[in-house]
Amino acid sequence: MSGIALTPVLLQLERAPGPLRPQIEAALCSHGQPLRWAITAVQPRLQQPALLQVEAIVCRRVEGG
Amino acid sequence: MGSAPPLPTLLVVPTGIGCAIGGHAGDALPAARLLAGASGCLITHPNVMNGAALYWSDPRIHYVEGSSLDRFAAGELLLRPVRRQRLGLLLDAGIESELRQRHLQVADGCRATLGLAIGPVVTTAVPLEVSLSLGASGVSWGQLGQPEALLQAGRQLKAAGATAIAVVTRFPDDPDSAGLAAYRQGSGVDALAGAEAVISHLLSRELGLPCAHAPALCPLPLDPELDPRAAGEELGHTFLPCVLVGLSRAPDLLPHPGSDQAAATAVASTLAIDAVGAVIAPAGALGGAAVLACAERGIPVIAVNNPCLLDVSAEALGLQVLTASSYAEAAGLVLALREGIAPEALRRPLLALR
Repeated sequence: MSGIALTPVLLQLERAPGPLRPQIEAALCSHGQPLRWAITAVQPRLQQPALLQVEAIVCRRVEGG
Repeated sequence: MGSAPPLPTLLVVPTGIGCAIGGHAGDALPAARLLAGASGCLITHPNVMNGAALYWSDPRIHYVEGSSLDRFAAGELLLRPVRRQRLGLLLDAGIESELRQRHLQVADGCRATLGLAIGPVVTTAVPLEVSLSLGASGVSWGQLGQPEALLQAGRQLKAAGATAIAVVTRFPDDPDSAGLAAYRQGSGVDALAGAEAVISHLLSRELGLPCAHAPALCPLPLDPELDPRAAGEELGHTFLPCVLVGLSRAPDLLPHPGSDQAAATAVASTLAIDAVGAVIAPAGALGGAAVLACAERGIPVIAVNNPCLLDVSAEALGLQVLTASSYAEAAGLVLALREGIAPEALRRPLLALR
């Protein structure tokens, strides 16, 4: 029998060119299905892309739920 | 107001980030009412509208749960206004008998006094085990120990004919915490808000129905120094009235038909993101899914000075925005957009064309 579990995720993500939303959702998908997320900090860096802090809750299927 | 047609506008005040306006008990509601007047059509979420015992119903305001708002902004959902919803009431088995009775009486009161269609009531098979937490940034988050039990109860309500779901879960009481004391004095973050959002997001996304959440808590002792922004939550025994009123006319959520012309015609009376003319959010909290989705589509973003815990600004994200020093100024910008007036024409200096 399977169920779901909700898991908090904290990511540091280097910004890539282009729209932000797909980048963030793709990064979160490796942890589960994003349920709620936001960029909660942006760290500018000299001669490097900014670092985005993303806080999220993701949903994962689990066995025995 | 002029004769210009409504300009559908999104208002986002993220939950649990300590916004000066919208960080307490529905205290962004006056701003929402103003923006509804300016736009003629405002789409916003429960954190803006929910004042526990206090609420405001305005046919120009569409009450859309946060994750559904994100999906609407992403072009995945359409909104279909309705005359009324049939509200299913989902109660956490962890709510004690007396507190449960208080919530049932609120629902009965809304049926008798406001004429809302409420019922059936379903109780979860096991207590949902809500826990609260703060994220790395200090914003409020939360967890649910038994998410499958929540979804099972939601499915039962949907099968029984509910077209929208009000969910009440037992939240942990912490009457002596410093965080709660700060909140009641008008500072800090709403520690409950993050968990509330997680619960309503999960339910709405899985069921495809409008959903909103009210926490069940024991009453607090009187605080003579209570901040007016927190007062709405201390007027009654529950936080449920605003949720029931908000959901009672929340729009239906329909999957976007994409390029299917026949399906698109069948949902012609709906509201789609293509029709939205502006999105309004706190200037330091522009890193949420709805705002970014709107920015991707070229929808004007109005960044309002509304101090909060975060500093995720337009400059940090590389977004082009219209700035507003207050929601009153934002309403002026919305009205300008509605009337077809270029916002830059209202500001000085106005640089010459080259």
